[in-house]
Amino acid sequence: MKMKKSDIGVVAVMYFVCAFFYSQMLQLKADSQTYPRFTILLLFGLTTLYLVQMLVNWKRHGVQQGRDEAFLEFQSAQFFVCLAATILYLVLMYFLGFYISTVLFMAAVLLYLRVPYLHAGITIIVILALIYFAFSRFLGVRLPVGTLIKALR
Amino acid sequence: MLETLSLMGAGFLNALTPINLLMMAGGVAMGIVIGCMPGLSAAMGVALMLPMTFTMKPETGLIVLGAIYCGAIFGGSISAILIHTPGTPASAATAIEGYQMTLNGRAGKALFTACYSSFWGGLLSCISLYFFAPLLAQLTLKFRSAEYFWLSIFGLTIIAGVSGKSLVKGLISGALGLLLSTIGLDPITGAKRFMFGQSYFAEGINTTCALIGLFSMSQVFILAEKKIVQRAKATKVTDKMGLSREERKQIRPTIFRSWIIGNLIGILPGAGASIACFLGYNTSRQFSKHKEMFGKGSIEGVAGSEAANNAVTGGSLIPTLTLGIPGESVTAVLMGGLVIQGLTPGPELFGKYAPMTYTFFAGFVLVQFFMLGIGLLGSRGFAQISRLSDAILIPCVTVLCFVGSYAIHKNIMDIVVMLSFGVVGYLMRKFDLNTAAVVLALILGPIGEKGLRNALRSSQGDIGILFSSVVCWVLIALCVVGILSPLFMNRLEKKAEEEAVAGTDEDIEVLTQEDSV
Repeated sequence: MKMKKSDIGVVAVMYFVCAFFYSQMLQLKADSQTYPRFTILLLFGLTTLYLVQMLVNWKRHGVQQGRDEAFLEFQSAQFFVCLAATILYLVLMYFLGFYISTVLFMAAVLLYLRVPYLHAGITIIVILALIYFAFSRFLGVRLPVGTLIKALR
Repeated sequence: MLETLSLMGAGFLNALTPINLLMMAGGVAMGIVIGCMPGLSAAMGVALMLPMTFTMKPETGLIVLGAIYCGAIFGGSISAILIHTPGTPASAATAIEGYQMTLNGRAGKALFTACYSSFWGGLLSCISLYFFAPLLAQLTLKFRSAEYFWLSIFGLTIIAGVSGKSLVKGLISGALGLLLSTIGLDPITGAKRFMFGQSYFAEGINTTCALIGLFSMSQVFILAEKKIVQRAKATKVTDKMGLSREERKQIRPTIFRSWIIGNLIGILPGAGASIACFLGYNTSRQFSKHKEMFGKGSIEGVAGSEAANNAVTGGSLIPTLTLGIPGESVTAVLMGGLVIQGLTPGPELFGKYAPMTYTFFAGFVLVQFFMLGIGLLGSRGFAQISRLSDAILIPCVTVLCFVGSYAIHKNIMDIVVMLSFGVVGYLMRKFDLNTAAVVLALILGPIGEKGLRNALRSSQGDIGILFSSVVCWVLIALCVVGILSPLFMNRLEKKAEEEAVAGTDEDIEVLTQEDSV
């Protein structure tokens, strides 16, 4: 099996995680260091083992990209719009509350993904009804009202 | 013996309450819907529904999760049969014969066979659940702190090898999860560890939020990165949904064999329904008196695959409930549900909490009947749902992830954690790291930590205590087996897949030659 170039990033991230947690661990009292030290050493050891495996694969079989295979059908615009919409949804929920932000988020994503208006409308109604009856009524969960809505009240 | 029988009887009485029956029906229907949609998986469905079970009684919550699990495993066969796209990997082998039957205008028969075999596979798997689970749980009575430490390591070695391409990457994922499980207050000294000044992390990372993020939210990102395509139209079911007495007689031995295969595969940690379906299918062909039908749409092929993958469900619950070692992603999520309810796998479930456990077992039996009924009545409708576009699934699943993670503590920070784990989970899946191992490590981490530290405390820091008993050595040996088992399982799965495909090609070749003659 060829070494994947993308795995260099994986190994680098794991070493960074080890280094970061190790530096934080040193601030703890000796008794509290035992278990975190064990887990950090475990992660460090396994990452090093994988690095060795990668080097052996590189020597024996050569190198391949890896990242290209993982993101073969990657639709960058669609992915990042959906990701941005999801983050915005979280922010909106804080200010506008759950129901208003959900309608806005769903409408925006459904229309962006070219779902016909009628289907989009039905989907939003079904999801809102499902959440209202399952979470608000059945489970008694008080969903976020939103700071702006609270202030207006 | 009498006590066990009375517990079993009481379990059925408890399971038959209207709320439990309603939850079974709802859970099975939801599971079938999730299973028949090719973009969604059983683990994702169970993770998504986990927060809904918080306010329920533990037994009712577990019944719902069990119902979703069984429903999803069967649901995968609907899209496999009607649109030649397995809803879950567990139905991959069903697609071979099932779709051929659909092409021959026997879609109704194929769906009935799948449902009927799934029912028997699931139902028979409950037998082993009833009889082996309490026995295995008794073993853990011999466990002390050091043994619990090794048990948690064993659990991780098992899950690390599941569903990943690289074993070392699976183990790295587990180690990363263990490290993340140390965030929060030290369970023994109460010191703040890696909390970065946030009191929110005092109780550690919320496992449910991590579960939803790693399994469900990451799937949304996977769907969002792909081009949205219209799914194939499901073939209309024109024939009658049913089997003649002769046909039922024909598939009976196949179901029986597949039950044994599926059950054993389920009990073995590290193997899952995706292996069982191919083994069940291959065995049905080997023993069939109508080998010529394979590749043309054999009901035995469908029965072999479906009975085996559903027989896994009961079997896989045995190591999960007794040792706390889930063999695959779905049971890891199910165990999360158990732990969140404040229950610990092991002898307590069959002692102090025995009424709850036996109610869940009885519910698991009854779920199979609901699966049969709902599956037979609703397959045509579910087939249409399986065509639901990813464009609709993306925002819907996102909203459910948000509301699910918020519902736990009614804290927006939970959504932030869930979303972060969603992004991490997406990247992990892209780079072949194992999300199930992280989840399991988050659950097993605190158990392992307590075990290790209590053992070291009692021995005044002497590490030899970790190797001081026979049970410790058995568990260490099992850890080694756990590390090596994925290599064997991968070969087994590959071989079964190759045999299934090769066998079908051979049959088609013979038929073509016969036709030309």
